[in-house]
Amino acid sequence: MISAYYFGAIALILIGLYAVLVKKNLLKILIGLSIMETGVNLLLISIGYVSGKSAPILSESITPSQAVDPIPQALVLTAIVIGVATTAMALSVAIILYEKYGTLNIEEVRRLRG
Amino acid sequence: MNELPIIVISPLVAGFLAWLLRVRGVREIIGVAGSLVPLALLIKLYPSLGGRLEFTINVAGFKLGLMLSHLTWVFSMIAAVVGFTAILGMVSTARDNWEWLFALMSLTGVLGVFMAYDLITFFIAWEVMTFASFMMVLRYNRHASLKYFILSIVGAYAMLIAIGLIYAKTGTLTFPEVSAIFSQDAMTKMMGGPGLFTKTETMLIYGLFLLAFGVKAGMFPLHVWAPDAYSETNQSYTAMFSGVLSKAGVYGFILLYILMYGKLIVEFGHFRSAPTFGYIIAFLGGLTIIVGGILAALQEDIRKLFAYSSISQIGYILVGLGIGTALSIEAAIYHAISHALFKGLFFLIVATLIYRTGKTEFKDFGGLAEKMPYTFAMAFIAILSLAGIPPLVGFASKWLIFEAVIHENLPILGGMVFFGSAIGFVYLIRFTYAVWFGQRPSDIENTKDAPLPLAIAMGILGALNVIFGVAPGLVAQELNKIFGKTIIAGNIWELNLGFGRYNGLLLTIWMTIGLLIAAIIYFLGAGVRKVPVTDTYQSGNPVTMEYNLTIRRNFFLPLKEAMAFWLRISFDKLYHDIWKSIEDFAETARNYIYNGNVQVYAWYLAIILIILAAMGV
Repeated sequence: MISAYYFGAIALILIGLYAVLVKKNLLKILIGLSIMETGVNLLLISIGYVSGKSAPILSESITPSQAVDPIPQALVLTAIVIGVATTAMALSVAIILYEKYGTLNIEEVRRLRG
Repeated sequence: MNELPIIVISPLVAGFLAWLLRVRGVREIIGVAGSLVPLALLIKLYPSLGGRLEFTINVAGFKLGLMLSHLTWVFSMIAAVVGFTAILGMVSTARDNWEWLFALMSLTGVLGVFMAYDLITFFIAWEVMTFASFMMVLRYNRHASLKYFILSIVGAYAMLIAIGLIYAKTGTLTFPEVSAIFSQDAMTKMMGGPGLFTKTETMLIYGLFLLAFGVKAGMFPLHVWAPDAYSETNQSYTAMFSGVLSKAGVYGFILLYILMYGKLIVEFGHFRSAPTFGYIIAFLGGLTIIVGGILAALQEDIRKLFAYSSISQIGYILVGLGIGTALSIEAAIYHAISHALFKGLFFLIVATLIYRTGKTEFKDFGGLAEKMPYTFAMAFIAILSLAGIPPLVGFASKWLIFEAVIHENLPILGGMVFFGSAIGFVYLIRFTYAVWFGQRPSDIENTKDAPLPLAIAMGILGALNVIFGVAPGLVAQELNKIFGKTIIAGNIWELNLGFGRYNGLLLTIWMTIGLLIAAIIYFLGAGVRKVPVTDTYQSGNPVTMEYNLTIRRNFFLPLKEAMAFWLRISFDKLYHDIWKSIEDFAETARNYIYNGNVQVYAWYLAIILIILAAMGV
């Protein structure tokens, strides 16, 4: 049986993908992208999880053998920042698009652009 | 043995120097010297031909080699002689440094093709030759050059694939080793054992080589580039283009015999008395003769006429090669030599005509025999030679091909060859009368005779046409050395096949006596009567006034009308249509797939991910 973490994370990715593929509103597509990103991050974290171990912060009571895998956590920290940056940029593009065409429907925008 | 690379490289070096030095006079001297070096060295090497004349260098694990045997020497001499005369003609007709560079580069390429010892060298030289001749056409006509280039590229890729197949199976590329492996393979196959190459692979290699060499030789239906490319370039250069570069394709077919003969015989067997694979070549050659000949008769432009005529003559060589007996191959090589000589001469004459008058169409010419007596004399030699009238070289070589075809009992090919000879007269009579005789248009009243370089170049080729015609044995005995045994017996004046003989000298003497008698009768007072136009008859009926009685304009219009149905079937148009539909298809596909909708692209990504997941990546 597949673990609930994996299932949840992949479900989030698919929901995000669905939004990207099908929705016509640009903001909804961006929301979909954000959801996908969350899903990917969760998936990465859950890959590094070892059952019963604690956070990978070394102290007196926790030795390396007792911590979960720290590498996915470092990866995800980077990915979160990248995700925020791309979302911010995409949102600013959305604002400019709205100012220029007066709509956020991507088919409308495509038609207006010609 | 370091003369061989010098022979190949010297024209290229001279070409670069002529290109860099933009001084008029100096570049001409350098260019002609560069084309003279191979000729001189080839003559110098002739006595040592029996030994091993080889040169190899190692490049990236491949041995690149050059080699001179009797066969390659004959072909290299064709290239060197006709190349030298063409370069000499260019002293008058070349317009800029560009032409010097690329004309000499193509001479390097063609010498490399003939002297190559392995398939890699062969291919490299082949491409140098193609590239340089493409550049020569590009300066004059973009469309013609692109057509030539695309067909050449198709041929080159075909050859590269075939070479790759051979290398993958045999692990070697030098001619003797590949040939040995193929004949060993043929032996195994004959014994019933499993061969190295399956029948399909053999067929594939044969087909690819047929495509590659067929394009370069101008074989039907791959000839469509030739009329445009030959006519749309410097006509002095065309002497080499049509005379020598097309022989690279012919040499390729001979190479096919050297490499794969036994294997192809074992796999495909015989058709009548010829090997099946050769019969295909011969039959396509026969079609080439007919198509080229008929189209040549219908042209209104001198350059086009000789371009088609050149295609037609290559057909004879292919027929000779295809029949595949020692005699017919020797006849084919003989015709390759004579074709290079008379077609080179023809294009130099065309170059002279264009240089002196600036006109290219029959309707603008007429009555030039008085004004250009020397060029006319050369044209007379060339016409007699192409038409196959003794005692010129064209007769000897065509006679050999006819004898070879008849001897093997091949009626269809025989018919094609004879038809081609008849149609040869049809288009040559047009050239003879329209350009040299009849009324002279007033704007070419002050035409002078050929400039000195062109005159010398024509003189060399004209003299060779006569010498090899009167003494056909000179060539035949050289060709016997290729096979290492006597195939055409006789002395230097006589060709003796055992079932037929031709004595060039005797015939010359008799013809001279005949001409003298005719001249005596003529001068002793043959009555001369002026014939008015209304006194001419066609099929027994008097000719009415609406008939066009000048040979200079649309003379073969009735033929054209009679053949209108067949002339509509044009391979040129077919290739063009195929090209257009590919373009349309690509455009439509592009509009549907690359439609600018980001979500569609996201779908593509998602679908690819699903496919990858399904494949378990």
